[in-house]
Amino acid sequence: MGDTGSDLLYDRSARTRFRLGFDRAIGWLLPLLFLVAILPILDMVYYVSIQALPHLTVQVLTTTSPYQIDALRVPIVSTLYMMTLATALAVVFGLFGGVATAEILPERLAGHVRTSANLLAGTPSVAFGYFGYFAFVIAFGWGLSFIAGALTLAFFMTPYIFRTADLAFTSVPRHIREAALGSGASPSQYIVRVATPIAFPQILTGVFLAMAIGVGETAPIWLTTTPGVLVPQNWTAPVTVLTELIWENFASPAGSGLQTLAWQAAFLLLVVVVALNIVVRLFAWRYQKRLEGLYQ
Amino acid sequence: MFGVLVYACKLTLLPDFFSMQWDPPANQWGVGVFVAGSFITAVPALILSMAIGLGIAIASTTYLPRFVSRLLDPFVDLLAGIPSVVYGIWAFIVVGPVLGKVINPWVFAHFHTVPGFGAPEGSELGTGLPLALIVLTLMALPITTLLIRDALRSVPKDLWESGLALGATRWEVTRRVAIPYSLRGIVSAAFLGFGRAFGETVAVAMVIGSIPALPDNAYAPTYTIAAAMFQLLDSSFSDHQFLVVLTEMALVLMVITLVVNLVGRRLISNLTHFDVPGL
Repeated sequence: MGDTGSDLLYDRSARTRFRLGFDRAIGWLLPLLFLVAILPILDMVYYVSIQALPHLTVQVLTTTSPYQIDALRVPIVSTLYMMTLATALAVVFGLFGGVATAEILPERLAGHVRTSANLLAGTPSVAFGYFGYFAFVIAFGWGLSFIAGALTLAFFMTPYIFRTADLAFTSVPRHIREAALGSGASPSQYIVRVATPIAFPQILTGVFLAMAIGVGETAPIWLTTTPGVLVPQNWTAPVTVLTELIWENFASPAGSGLQTLAWQAAFLLLVVVVALNIVVRLFAWRYQKRLEGLYQ
Repeated sequence: MFGVLVYACKLTLLPDFFSMQWDPPANQWGVGVFVAGSFITAVPALILSMAIGLGIAIASTTYLPRFVSRLLDPFVDLLAGIPSVVYGIWAFIVVGPVLGKVINPWVFAHFHTVPGFGAPEGSELGTGLPLALIVLTLMALPITTLLIRDALRSVPKDLWESGLALGATRWEVTRRVAIPYSLRGIVSAAFLGFGRAFGETVAVAMVIGSIPALPDNAYAPTYTIAAAMFQLLDSSFSDHQFLVVLTEMALVLMVITLVVNLVGRRLISNLTHFDVPGL
């Protein structure tokens, strides 16, 4: 978007000078708005680091103590368990649904499914929490348990993976698809052997994105599990993840170790989320290059 | 996926044999308070984030050199990926006291004649409406900025350049050409940003002061649907009616969110964009 034409610079009338001046002024003013977005991030990172790092020793990360003061190992491992299970489930649901929508389903039905997936993606996580509560805690009879939390989280993450898978498979270049089918491949052969390797990077990107979202979620888990002090031992155990830890302790008095614990959990979360986001961006960037190579 | 939605509705309707009670806050079960609270927090946050987002998007597409905007844009997108709890803890511990101790008293001192800015009820913690507004604005900002930015970028270059060639300044071209052209995308940004602000749960719950009453003035604490749903479920296990009401609230939240998202997405139905977390 180029600069103002130079003709204007020769017109000395007052009105033009005003217009030019206004334009220049706006040109400085609007970019300053970026600060509104950037300062909070920097401030957040700064404060989280300041509060968390001085006390964050390896010991804090690895010891397990009866109550959670000064011990983050249990929540960290619990979060890992939860994320692994939820991601695995979400990938299964999302991939299956995405492939089905992109390749197998008739177009009209596919359109509806896509719309619902998009709507679900935009639904607040509390709604998922309530759904999970009624479905898994009550109706399935599992009670407030780890599996209920993981399933609810999985359901929450599924629309994102579904969207990615759908997009990935539909953006396989047409000539490749036609070449495969024309050479005698059956649709399932095509999907498994041809389309999947091509779509894989994009799907992986989507999985990382969904993980970044999932790891930061509190509501679906909080509403379907009961807080626990141990790593979940079985499917129905109590569990506490990092986000819940922050929620429980953020208002504790500043002196007690509890608030520091919350800051540390926040720090860990930030690191994970930023790392995942960077990975996603790198993948997206590299995938773009790769995709361009496919169009001969 | 559709099945999930229907299933959720079915399950939540089963215990729900009352009709909606839109009672005034005086009644013990008046959900109106929460709905009002949700709107009171979401609408100004939306307006603010649209304004700022518009500015940032225009700056990014028009005024800033390419490499600068390519450098700065990811920061705004990063804002979207930050977990709500982290927003909440930062806002509560870092921003709250500043609001409560410095800004609120200052505003009160200077503006107390304006209706609505009377005696500050908020504690020194700073929790309440203003803090919630700040948090929600920040959370809706990446979405509005991203969508407006995309909308502006999709204006054909020749339209831009012909505007400039005719002697308009960049601002004039933006205002008279680019924005009307991308109005659809901008309106969609408004809807989706609103959906985000309306449904945000945890961060709001942490900073809003959790008082189920309409705020008396601009500083008071209040409550939103999502925050109430989140915080009150635990205490509702013993009281069946409480649970029913909460579930009704969940339904309301879902319906409003669904409608908002539906409209918002319809408007950009031709843009298949791989978008930002939290959308």
